[in-house]
Amino acid sequence: MSKYVMVIDQRRCIGCMACIVACKAENDVPEEHFRTRVIQEVEGEFPKLRMELRSELCNHCDNPPCVYNCPTGASYKDKENGMVLLKKNRCVGCKACIASCPYDARYIDPRHGYADKCTFCSHRVAKGKEPACVQTCIGRSRIFGDIEDPESEVSLLLREHHHEVLKPAAGTEPNVYYINRILKG
Amino acid sequence: MTEVTITGMNSITYPHLEVWNWLVAMYLFLGGLSAGILIMSAIANLRKWPDSASGPHCEKGVMFAPFILAFGMLFIFLDLERKTNIFWFYLTLQPFSPMSWGAWGIMIIIPVSFLYALSTAPPESRHNLRFGVLIKLSDMMWPHMKRLAMISFGLGIFLGIYTGVLLSNMLARPLWNSPILPVLFLTSASSTGAAFLIIVARRAAVKLFYTKLDIWLIFAEIVIIVLFFYGQYNSSVSSKASIMPFFTLSHEFFFYFFAVFLMAVLLPLALVMKLIEMREDHADVLSEATIFRMNLSAVMVLTGGLIIRLALIYAGQLVKFM
Amino acid sequence: MPISRRDFLKYTSMAAAGTAVSLSDAELFSHLFAISPEPHEDVNYIPTYCEVCFWNCGAVAAVVNGKVKKLEGNPYDPRSRGKLCARGNAGVGELYDEDRLKHPMIRTGERGDGKYREASWDEALNYAAEKMTKIKNEYGPESVAFMMHGGITTHLMNLGKAFGSPNFGFPSYGQCRAARMVAYDLTYGADVGSPERVDMANSRVIVFFGTHLGENMHNSQVQDFTEALGSRAKIIVVDPRFSTAAGKADHWLPIRPGADMALMLAWINIIISEGLYDREYVDKYTAGFDELKESVKEYTPEWASKETDLPADIIVETARELGRYAPSVCVHPGRFTAWHGNDTQRERCIAILGAILGTWGREGGIYLPTKAPLAGAAGMSYPVPSRASIAKGPHAFAQPQLMQAVRRTTITADPYPIKAWVVAGTNILRAVPNPAKSIEAIMKLDLLIAIDIRPLDTAMMADVILPECTYLERHDALKIDRGVSLSVGIRQPVVEPLYKSKAGWWICKELGNRLGVGGYFPYETYEDHIKKECAAMNIDYDELTRVGTKFYPGTDNPYITNENQPVFKTPSGKIELYSSRLAEQGFAPIPKYNRIEQPEKGWFRLLSGRSPVHSFSRTANNQKLFELFEENVLWINAKVAFSMGIRDGQNIILVNQDNIMSEIIKAKVTQRIRNDCVYMVHGFGAKSRLLSRAYGRGADDSRLMTRFIADPISGSTGMRVNFVRIEKA
Repeated sequence: MSKYVMVIDQRRCIGCMACIVACKAENDVPEEHFRTRVIQEVEGEFPKLRMELRSELCNHCDNPPCVYNCPTGASYKDKENGMVLLKKNRCVGCKACIASCPYDARYIDPRHGYADKCTFCSHRVAKGKEPACVQTCIGRSRIFGDIEDPESEVSLLLREHHHEVLKPAAGTEPNVYYINRILKG
Repeated sequence: MTEVTITGMNSITYPHLEVWNWLVAMYLFLGGLSAGILIMSAIANLRKWPDSASGPHCEKGVMFAPFILAFGMLFIFLDLERKTNIFWFYLTLQPFSPMSWGAWGIMIIIPVSFLYALSTAPPESRHNLRFGVLIKLSDMMWPHMKRLAMISFGLGIFLGIYTGVLLSNMLARPLWNSPILPVLFLTSASSTGAAFLIIVARRAAVKLFYTKLDIWLIFAEIVIIVLFFYGQYNSSVSSKASIMPFFTLSHEFFFYFFAVFLMAVLLPLALVMKLIEMREDHADVLSEATIFRMNLSAVMVLTGGLIIRLALIYAGQLVKFM
Repeated sequence: MPISRRDFLKYTSMAAAGTAVSLSDAELFSHLFAISPEPHEDVNYIPTYCEVCFWNCGAVAAVVNGKVKKLEGNPYDPRSRGKLCARGNAGVGELYDEDRLKHPMIRTGERGDGKYREASWDEALNYAAEKMTKIKNEYGPESVAFMMHGGITTHLMNLGKAFGSPNFGFPSYGQCRAARMVAYDLTYGADVGSPERVDMANSRVIVFFGTHLGENMHNSQVQDFTEALGSRAKIIVVDPRFSTAAGKADHWLPIRPGADMALMLAWINIIISEGLYDREYVDKYTAGFDELKESVKEYTPEWASKETDLPADIIVETARELGRYAPSVCVHPGRFTAWHGNDTQRERCIAILGAILGTWGREGGIYLPTKAPLAGAAGMSYPVPSRASIAKGPHAFAQPQLMQAVRRTTITADPYPIKAWVVAGTNILRAVPNPAKSIEAIMKLDLLIAIDIRPLDTAMMADVILPECTYLERHDALKIDRGVSLSVGIRQPVVEPLYKSKAGWWICKELGNRLGVGGYFPYETYEDHIKKECAAMNIDYDELTRVGTKFYPGTDNPYITNENQPVFKTPSGKIELYSSRLAEQGFAPIPKYNRIEQPEKGWFRLLSGRSPVHSFSRTANNQKLFELFEENVLWINAKVAFSMGIRDGQNIILVNQDNIMSEIIKAKVTQRIRNDCVYMVHGFGAKSRLLSRAYGRGADDSRLMTRFIADPISGSTGMRVNFVRIEKA
């Protein structure tokens, strides 16, 4: 049993968008549709400004509302690796999963009608490779691995750093962790 | 001041959610309407009437229920992106998915309500069913009318609540994510059901019965709507933000403001009209003017029910959980 | 013992470099991809190097049944290190852009009206060659100028020199790196290289003057920068705009545009007067320290504060930080340096600052270049032109590559006429300031030949258009990186050219044949030529085609040690803080501050920069990048916008000091920029209707740059000297 998670070290993200394009190429994501995004937030007033760069994707929640809301069992949580995945042939395109996701992680594939999303590149992971976005991440800001393995890089990072998840109050128990506290000196 | 630049958003979720439209609103409205018809007719058929006129009531109205529900289902079917996969609904039961429960529920409600409708057909008018099979079935169901009414009452409550739970279980959408929403939808469903039966029913006693019931239902609906907004306003940031479209008078949110305005006019007006009806003495045969007033207020209630669904479906997608 | 993340990364990259030479499996790269082919599908993994920008990262293409499915970074390549940026990942979008030039075209209408007819290659090449020959006979070969950028450069330079012309124009020189190249050559006797040999991964302090890495996606360099971010180096960003890099900085210094030298000189002064400089290093390796010390005395923090609009205490604090962490300080030399017309002296300040902090050849500073020998094939000997190149302009230290000099001479015909341009891989109308002037020059030409992949604006002015194929469909010259370490990379076709497009080398060779200089192309295919070169350099060609980039571990020579002393090819043999060469030519031997003109009230200095997902104007039509960034917007300070009643997203028009109007552009009302300047991303406002996505999107910054100040030392065209006012559209 493994449980795959992603750690996003926001200090190292430079907002280059390589993840977005690599993801689309890897997963044949249709035009104008995306499985991951980059958010740049600037707060403050000139010249006292603070910037946050945050890449977002499906959080592969432990408590996934999209899975609970799926009427056909097309969306499921893989028991072997913890990924939230989609059995495309079962999807009826009712969009309940899209509406129930607090992270806006899903979209309807206009070619086939199913509610697609990030798969953590399960096809790559199955072959022992990192997800495409992690592989191409210029800043090594995205780190992927098995949190059940105490020696994995993600386990090490999460042990050593304060980390947060997106919208913890949603109770979804996300598996994408953010490291952003800048400890200078 | 926060400046946000997002690269890589999907149009279905950005700038705001856009998954469901009027098709789903129609589904919820018609589902609620059929639920209301079942509940209301069951009440009429199960209660002891003071006058000698016992036996089934509003039998014609009940017959509408399965067809309205099936018609409503057509709208949700049209909304599916992969219609040919619809059979998957019935190869599984997902215990946490309201939509799964709904799909199965409707599959039960349509035949049961149909049988219930047949059971209410009085022997003298059974020939109107035309088909021999139906007449025979009606003969068979006639003795079980009270039992079927009881079951239909339960199913109607289930259906009315379901149309609300479908939305209210989505934490991601704060406007929908309120436990009051299923209660509101159930009340609204009952109210529209009563309104529908007022229009369809022929006997003055029945019409007046539903008018009386509807007074309570409309009153409850108004209280629940106010409580709904009040509760949202006093809840989390997201919930508070979620009702703002209804109270912002701007070009962008005009539809929502207008919906609230209409509700604030239609429901009290219908309530007042019904109160006036109840204060008057009516003969066994109602005057044309009375029937017109009754129907008018019923149409107002039905319109109100549709507006609630439309407004909530669209507005619920504007604000997300923060 | 816990292994730090940085050690872990070092270890893995070393392992990757080590395996590169030992693996010889044909399926070397299959492990990069997770492609599960159907039984009938044929999958190939072919390495090459990227050309969506000039960084030329090693990439690997997965080709399934003749279609490129995905690109990955080549892990053995020092510029990609196994990672591609957004643009590199979108290389497929270049290849499969349905708007590409598909066949040769000959103009039928007036120049610029876009009327063309399809022609065969033979016809188009003959047409071009005949006209070139006619001009050669009438005016001499010098009257044909060649302008270029990218992979075709080798081939077109070969053709141009063989043809007998000394006139070449490179926007990448005068409009970009010239000032830096000259300044570093004057100071250190060598350029910092391209890629710049900055050791940012090990820096304790990094200083950017206007450099906005992150928006400027120079792959390996950005990787180094993020390593520095990860190891908590101090970042100082000097920029009137809160760039992404500024968002990462410990100190963002929103300097008054054009006052950078005041800050640099004040820093030098503080570092010297407080004794923070590297005394030993300065004594041993530099010349002219005393003159420098005397010269910068007047540049006090208080004075600089007035010039730069930065608090004096911050100026002192940041200077002390530089001194404290020296020599592990990287003052980035910048790349686009054509700013205000005093660019060489400004770059000299950066070079001097680095020198007194002892950063050249020190960990965290600037690497020394590799000493690795690599014997190349013998070069060609070309005819000596009878007339000198006009492309040097009147600039003392410029290389003869100045676009604006070629343009000027084309208009004035002084000292001799320029009658034809051959333009390849560069969109002159965007790349060179003031496109109206470029069009004026083009209208004077007898012949304009464009070799391009896309129907960019410049190509659509040409008399004959020769469609080149993309980098994924052709061979090009070996990429010999002699920067930090030695590596050799190959560009090879991963698929056959689409439509009737042809490789640049083929176009140049065929043109050469028809011009009677076919002897300068002594190969049937360019692959033959690469094989020959490999043989001369003792490289196993077959291995190179498999690994893509051959990296030579241990050829780096990064830092100064007792045994390893740097060589400075300057007149004094030392780092020239005082430049004798500049003195000889009558320029200030030590940079002096001169205030530049500032905009009046209601006017703003126009700044431009980059988006991380676009390479100038050429990727604007790439669907995979277009969907991320469709058009540029105008950044305008929020307070200013408020006072002018401009809302975020509102359509506006810019009007410059010469009454030139911009296209309509949307306003980005932001706190992220000073109130005396506005900013937009360069490369938008395409006029060519054949670019179905890019056409008419955003505004063109070069159009508003009707003024530029050519740096007298290097010829760098200072473009940030244009002022605009804002009108509502």
